[in-house]
Amino acid sequence: MDPKQLTIEKVQEILLTEKYVCDRQLATVVYLSLVMGKPLLLEGEAGVGKTEIAKVLSKVLGARLIRLQCYEGLDASTALYEWNYPKQMLHIKLEEIEHGDKKKVETEIFTQDYLVKRPLLDAIQSDDVNPPVLLIDEIDRADMEFEAFLLEVLSDFQITIPELGTVTAKHRPYVFLTSNRTREIHDALKRRCLYHWIEYPTFDKEYEIITTKFPEVETKMAQQICAFMQKVREMNFYKRPGVAETLDWASALIALNRKQLDDKSVIETMGCVFKYREDLTHLREQVENRQFSLDQLLRTSPELVS
Amino acid sequence: MDITPETVAEAVNKVASVRGKGTLPNMMAFGRALKHLGVKVSLSQLIDASRSADLVDIAERGDFRALLRANLISQKEDFAVFDMLFDCFWREQSYERVPMETMDIQGTPTESNAPEGGDEEGGVEEAASEAIANENLPLENLDEFAVPTYSAQELMNRKDFSEMGTEESRAIARAILLIATKIATQISRRKKIGRKGPVIDPRATMRRSMKFGGEVIEMSHRKRRIKKTKVVLLCDVSGSMDCYSRFLIQFMYGLQNELWGVETFVFSTSLSRITHLIRTKNIIDALDKISGTILGWSGGTNIGRSLHTFNRNFAPSMVTHRTVVVIISDGWDRGDVTLLEKEMQDIKRRAKKIIWLNPLLASENYEPLCKGMQAALPYLDMFLSVHNVNSLVALGRTLEKMVA
Repeated sequence: MDPKQLTIEKVQEILLTEKYVCDRQLATVVYLSLVMGKPLLLEGEAGVGKTEIAKVLSKVLGARLIRLQCYEGLDASTALYEWNYPKQMLHIKLEEIEHGDKKKVETEIFTQDYLVKRPLLDAIQSDDVNPPVLLIDEIDRADMEFEAFLLEVLSDFQITIPELGTVTAKHRPYVFLTSNRTREIHDALKRRCLYHWIEYPTFDKEYEIITTKFPEVETKMAQQICAFMQKVREMNFYKRPGVAETLDWASALIALNRKQLDDKSVIETMGCVFKYREDLTHLREQVENRQFSLDQLLRTSPELVS
Repeated sequence: MDITPETVAEAVNKVASVRGKGTLPNMMAFGRALKHLGVKVSLSQLIDASRSADLVDIAERGDFRALLRANLISQKEDFAVFDMLFDCFWREQSYERVPMETMDIQGTPTESNAPEGGDEEGGVEEAASEAIANENLPLENLDEFAVPTYSAQELMNRKDFSEMGTEESRAIARAILLIATKIATQISRRKKIGRKGPVIDPRATMRRSMKFGGEVIEMSHRKRRIKKTKVVLLCDVSGSMDCYSRFLIQFMYGLQNELWGVETFVFSTSLSRITHLIRTKNIIDALDKISGTILGWSGGTNIGRSLHTFNRNFAPSMVTHRTVVVIISDGWDRGDVTLLEKEMQDIKRRAKKIIWLNPLLASENYEPLCKGMQAALPYLDMFLSVHNVNSLVALGRTLEKMVA
């Protein structure tokens, strides 16, 4: 799909076909990023759909998704390219047996055939009709040095390989970076990106997400789940649950054929929402001490009352 | 800087003279107003913002806002300032009068962007060394040195942090940033050598080639074990440490936000984990969260019991032979000394190093005589002072040596 034909509404619409509910602000930013060809840096708490949006976009745009998962110690040879040493060795060896031409061998072993493409080079060299979607996931996990190295790639969309020359992108990939903010990204990198912070969804948006993903869900239960999640995010848990957890939980409750929430099913299925022992104990204590009452929550939640 | 409607209006007035017809001058003026309010905006961001202005219908105020925000703002904390300025700047008359013309980038009023360029990179370091050079920074004024005492009863009161001076906290923040950056780069440089990367180990390569009849087929690379040092901070926030509390929070907050793998705890009569509370980029938020959650601030001290809680609940998973445990306390203890000694022994067994930072150590006639401190002394690898920016720098060097 040609991004030139897109509009903000269109972006919202096509994302919805793949069941990604996205508010107008996010749609505007995504639209701008696609049209301007500028990378988009998405930040937000874990599980609010940062990675998902890139995946969904690649589907609806009919583009290939190239994903680079960042981790501590990620370096150029894993992200960019590497020479295939064993293959080069074998080639040299074979030529040796056949008494090949030394000069010829030298040039031969430094060609595309002997290059192992890593995600970034892959994205830039892509021959696809549609430019690929490049997802650089959890950039905050990589080292500072890696960021510096990304600068060249993201501003000029070219990579220099000393033995081959400079590879420039035929068409710019759509680049999405995500960060959980375990550390701050350097300003220089931020300047080259559009920026958006994805909030936890509001009640209405979360409700829409649940009903879009699980059309079979009971209206009442979907509302109750949302009210519960909204409340829990305000409380003091070590890890606040995101949308991913909401969806896990909803699917668990549906699988168990529950029509509405009650204390028992909440306690039984809490493993979907909280992934830390401290948080589970905390919730259990709160329920036992009547500091947290599901009944009361469901009765007083403004969205449910209206 | 505190952002109020007045300061925002003032910023808008300041740039009123450079506003003109067309989006570009207005956009530039807007960027400049943002700068006045302390938000970093670069020229390239402004240019991109103007370029993209014809991509959306700017009569849609919400879309226009999203467009500007995505282009100009690069951290969530600046959203509030941006929104206030946006509302004030693009008010009815000026907003509607903005005619959409094709942008003429060459016509950019360059003079308005004079402070642009490489100056911001050096800024932090410069400012920090300035802070360090200024030895007698009024962080901890020794004249006001409170007589350290311990409080017997558990004062379960909530601490109000509003008195923290902004200038002082900035100086500390800068010093910590400098330390942390040093440590951080130190760690990662080590790692780089350790990766399988370009360093070939000839000896191992030869050895491996034996199975191919002496032909070198597979390369062996030199690997060094990655030394990842984690830091656990245990910080005393009891009454006797009161005059250091704001400094300590700054310190904990700064260190945790700049370094990997830092776990932070505070203790007085009991121990609380605050790692997750101060994992925000805004210190004011962090302070709010802490003062809203931690009970027993400025109360009595029971180091032994707090360390016991730590050893039982957290140490098994957090403290390994790669962990440096940093305890910040004056050692005035109400609790059982034998328990304290036993728990120190336990930590010692687990941890790589134990550093005890004692703010009192700086005063000339201080000797670690109180029972708690004496019990702990044999188990310490390092006993340092921490009371002003200078001592922080010394600590930075020590940590740097340890992680290297």
